[in-house]
Amino acid sequence: MTVRICILNYGMGNLRSVEKALEHVGVMATISSDPETVRAADGVILPGVGAFPKAMQRVRELGLGELIAERRAADVPILGICLGLQLLFDSTTELGGAAGIGLLPGGVAELAADGLKVPHIGWSPVRWEKDSRLTEGIPTETPFYFVHSFAPSPEQGDLLGSAAYGARFACAAERGNVFGVQFHPEKSSAAGLRLLSNFAGVCAATPTPA
Amino acid sequence: MILYPAIDIRGSQAVRLLQGDYRRETTYDADPVDAALRWAGEGAQFLHVVDLDGAKAGEPRNLDAVKRIAAAAQCPIQVGGGLRDAAAVDAALDAGAERVVIGTAALRDPEFLDAMLAAHGDRVVVSVDARAGKVAVEGWTEATDSDVAETVAELSKRGVARFLCTEIDVDGTMDGPALDQLKEIAAATSAQIIASGGVGELSHLESLASQAPANLEGAIVGRALYERRFTVAQAIAALA
Repeated sequence: MTVRICILNYGMGNLRSVEKALEHVGVMATISSDPETVRAADGVILPGVGAFPKAMQRVRELGLGELIAERRAADVPILGICLGLQLLFDSTTELGGAAGIGLLPGGVAELAADGLKVPHIGWSPVRWEKDSRLTEGIPTETPFYFVHSFAPSPEQGDLLGSAAYGARFACAAERGNVFGVQFHPEKSSAAGLRLLSNFAGVCAATPTPA
Repeated sequence: MILYPAIDIRGSQAVRLLQGDYRRETTYDADPVDAALRWAGEGAQFLHVVDLDGAKAGEPRNLDAVKRIAAAAQCPIQVGGGLRDAAAVDAALDAGAERVVIGTAALRDPEFLDAMLAAHGDRVVVSVDARAGKVAVEGWTEATDSDVAETVAELSKRGVARFLCTEIDVDGTMDGPALDQLKEIAAATSAQIIASGGVGELSHLESLASQAPANLEGAIVGRALYERRFTVAQAIAALA
């Protein structure tokens, strides 16, 4: 059966490339913020670019915070990408600070970068910090494409991947069926497609709630 | 170094020009998205997309194709050709470009360049195209008296982080890049340089990688890829 993944649309970010990449790996992808469409999906992707506080405001206005928490409670796999990953954490320091959705314990802060220019834009090798269904078949230190100024600090047990830009930072997290990556898998060539395909595999293996 | 397969769009097709001459054009893909999918599928880490109609017209003409390429390719793209005001730059970024390549306008309109650098920082690439060491503008149809290395040095001071340097006389010839000119340009700045023009063999990429200064960040390859002289994977390996 074809895996259905809903890409949450809250008006921030270019969602077409995520949709196309999912279609490329055989997923039936939809872009929506409609609760019934989201509930009908085997998995949910929270994308996003831009500023955290404004994004959270949009997420709240659309009631997506509750919806994502509800899907989490039903154990539906969730993948945050870039800003979407950050939103899954408790809070950020960006633009005076804001609360996040809070599925992943920890905060988000500006990259230390150790004197390098922020934002960090470009390909950087990612080191896997633990084994995961999300990263199966992707060698550690495989490069992924990044565009960001902030990064999360997950709990040690949730830390899935890290990369170096001046200083080392967390760039992937996993807690149960909640996943997040700071890089853009949809722009990261074959490795990115593999990661999305792995996520679809997690969705397929998770029984759909009644 | 990063390989940038080139996708030049004219009349909504993927074409290559010889030495920037619009009369000497070869069409390779009826739909440029096919080229994007092919190069990205072979492992390209970036694509260089040029709106040739836009470069000539002075405003974007193929944004729809850019949008489709950005969505379809599983890698970032940089887009140039006719980006001469803020609205055009915004439209290219909205279409999904990770970087915008500004040419003529960056050289002629310092206020515009400053505004774009302030708004978009490292997402701005300035294209400095040369014929016999002198800067060429207006879709390469017009030559100036400005020295290329001097121009690059000057623009670096304004905050340009990355330059795209094309030697027009070798572009499309596959006879090898203009290494000496590239070295001279790279020495004039600490910004990143992307080399363009003349690559026809893997050995050209190998010599770029081995002889080039540290700030030569990447190389654009066009015709040689379209004519399958080597694969994207081979080119990436040669630049490593």
